[in-house]
Amino acid sequence: MKLPLNTLALSALIAAALGSHAQGSAPTDPQIAAIVVAANQVDIDAGKLAKSKAHSTQVKDFAQLMINDHSGVNKSATELVTRLKVKPEDNPTSDSLKKGGADNVAKLTRLSGVEFDRAYVEHEVAYHQTVLDALDKTLIPNAKNEELKALMVKVRPAFVAHLEHAKQLQATLGKSSG
Amino acid sequence: MAETRAALRRHGAWAALAIGMLVPCAARPAEPATHLITMENMQFSPPLRSVRVGDRVVWTNRDLVAHTATAAQRFDSRSVAPNASWTFVAREPGRIDYVCTFHPTMKGSLVVE
Repeated sequence: MKLPLNTLALSALIAAALGSHAQGSAPTDPQIAAIVVAANQVDIDAGKLAKSKAHSTQVKDFAQLMINDHSGVNKSATELVTRLKVKPEDNPTSDSLKKGGADNVAKLTRLSGVEFDRAYVEHEVAYHQTVLDALDKTLIPNAKNEELKALMVKVRPAFVAHLEHAKQLQATLGKSSG
Repeated sequence: MAETRAALRRHGAWAALAIGMLVPCAARPAEPATHLITMENMQFSPPLRSVRVGDRVVWTNRDLVAHTATAAQRFDSRSVAPNASWTFVAREPGRIDYVCTFHPTMKGSLVVE
């Protein structure tokens, strides 16, 4: 199995961006809102590409699940911040997430077949792990508004389940390659 | 005291009569019960539930994402949206293991007695 160099690079990029918040000033609620929306949108975009390009049915189904679940989360997040009158504010972390997502889609577009499936799933494992770390270390601890904090706490188990699911897929794809 | 005892006896007689009237009801099969299972935090809660034939089982989705309660050959809720519910009536005894087809890490069981 190929080593996920690009995935590691992406994780490092996101981790660095999130770390900049951890080391410097903590993100504000409007910034956290933008990070949450960006994080979900990035996975929806990757899912849409994978739904059309994936080789295996399992990977296509997973991609559809990511589209559905992350759209559901973003719908709830958008409803909440609208009600709270919190206007999402772009920041280095949300920008970095978006750039990482665009780079991933650009890279995946050039791949096909089993190679595509492996790269997509590999990225999904790293992405969900990175977002979970961000939720635990930066986003949940720094959210001031209790409802915003509660939303992220409520969403967290979905990211855990997705990570587990992606890892199972990764193991299956590894086996099928021989 | 004697009056009290007499009163107790009278009440006792009424109580015995009342119980006698209730017995035929108690002998009949229990009314079907409704069992609530939540889909929350990507888990079925409680994960194991014992029910009787004829009981209703209602799954309610408290997550922000859709789920299913699906047991091959037995039942399939299909997609249950956030805040929506789905009901199944247990018709045959036995153990039924079910999953959420969307999220394979979600597993639950019903024991129908």
